Amino acid sequence: MSSARKGILVPNGRIAGSETLDEYMARGGYEALRRIAESLTPPEVVQEIVASGLQGRGGAGFPTGKKWELAVTNHASPRYVVANGGEDEPGSVKDRLVMENHPHLVLEGLLLSAFAVGAETAYLYVNHTLDKAIKRLEDALREARERSFVGTAILGTSVNVEVNICRAPTEYVAGEDTAALEVIEGKKPLPRQKPPYPTTAGLFGQPTVVNNVETVANIPAIIRNGAQWYRQYGTKESPGTMLFSLGEEVVQPGVYELPLGTPLRFLIYECGGGPRWNSELKAILPGGPSSAFLLPNQLETPLDHQSMRAAGSALGCGVVRLIPQGVCMVEEVLRIADFFSRESCDQCPACRMETNTLVALLQRVQKGQGDKVLLDQFSKVLEFNRGKGFCALINMPGPPILSAIRLFRTDFDSHLTTGTCPR
Amino acid sequence: MSATRYLLVCQNVDCKNRGSELLLTELKKRAAESGCTDVEVKPYMCFGACHEGPNIVLYPEKSWYAGVKLEDLDEIAAHLTGGPDVVRLDKIDRSLKELIYQLLDAGLF
Repeated sequence: MSSARKGILVPNGRIAGSETLDEYMARGGYEALRRIAESLTPPEVVQEIVASGLQGRGGAGFPTGKKWELAVTNHASPRYVVANGGEDEPGSVKDRLVMENHPHLVLEGLLLSAFAVGAETAYLYVNHTLDKAIKRLEDALREARERSFVGTAILGTSVNVEVNICRAPTEYVAGEDTAALEVIEGKKPLPRQKPPYPTTAGLFGQPTVVNNVETVANIPAIIRNGAQWYRQYGTKESPGTMLFSLGEEVVQPGVYELPLGTPLRFLIYECGGGPRWNSELKAILPGGPSSAFLLPNQLETPLDHQSMRAAGSALGCGVVRLIPQGVCMVEEVLRIADFFSRESCDQCPACRMETNTLVALLQRVQKGQGDKVLLDQFSKVLEFNRGKGFCALINMPGPPILSAIRLFRTDFDSHLTTGTCPR
Repeated sequence: MSATRYLLVCQNVDCKNRGSELLLTELKKRAAESGCTDVEVKPYMCFGACHEGPNIVLYPEKSWYAGVKLEDLDEIAAHLTGGPDVVRLDKIDRSLKELIYQLLDAGLF
């Protein structure tokens, strides 16, 4: 674990302080962009990202290089790039902290993305409540313009990239890629039916690459140092590092950059200092509210997509939550189901029916209004509606609910028989 | 006499937009007027057939009425008191009906 705390996105793997342009340049910032002026071609940048194996950090883990290739094989013009900083995932603060503290890192990544896919217009899509992040990005944009890093004829070349900041609504679905495109087009944050995917018909119907802010922040170091250098971090299938968010349940909450493949235990105990409370650990939610619960005996699970899938859960966007003994899992998943029901945009009938029904079923379990037959209904409702929505929200409540029923059946039985939490 | 039959009227977005609030009020009135005290007319959260709404389900008979209009209520009310079922209003996919009826059988109403 020698490389665990080195950090390739941010110094020492901890986001701290407001990095200035000079500080960013002192650690190699904008060197990758300068190579555009020297020799680098767009296909070379795309190929370097493909070779790096970088996967999207917004939750889905789609290969970034593949997404770029899809956009450039479409010859329509103009093309667009978007850095998605909607960040509405509960507990996730990593994109906000990167934008606030390392705005030039995000900006250089976005400029390189635009150059790679031949886009002359780029958007920073930022949750409108993040005043400090927006201010820092505006300042960074002004400084970059003064140095000819952005705008017309970047660094004296024929490359033009204009960058706009778009304020995003706070709804959960507003962070979905196509909902972000709707907002940039001046419309409500409603996910679009896919296909077509944004790489085919995105912003204003043109090929568009939407990458999460953290994904974008990985680009400069890969172009500066090369794909092989990047691949020394992480695992073969999940290269690089990732930002993980720990909340108030641990002694040292915060955002930690770790190589993918680092054991979950290292993040929770070495970085976070372990749980703040005295009671035993009951469960871990390793990838945000849409992931399946893990048990304490799975703490050695490596933090990468493949290992988390093999363990029955998902890496998501790296929001790790701890549940202590004493917390009732019926109450816990009811909170999660209620969240998805409230945040469903109500556009797709199947999503509306599913999220409402799951809450109603859980409320009946909670109140002890029914028998074990109620528990059989969850998988039927989820299976019936799987994939029937425009976005992934319809698939999100399933993993936490089904894993809670499987792993913590005594909590559910207690509610069904007594209408109360287990003692 | 407590209710043993339930007329469930969807009150979610699409059904409401197509007038299901008025249908709920009217059906409550008609059930009371007809004196069928074994029937409770209740709102329901969503049957998942939004494009066919407003949707109404009579349980435990498991009669499904889709795309209900005010002019259909006389026939539905007549069925509550022994008239024929209004089968012409059952236009719903069988797999969805099976799911919804299983939920109702599990007590979700």
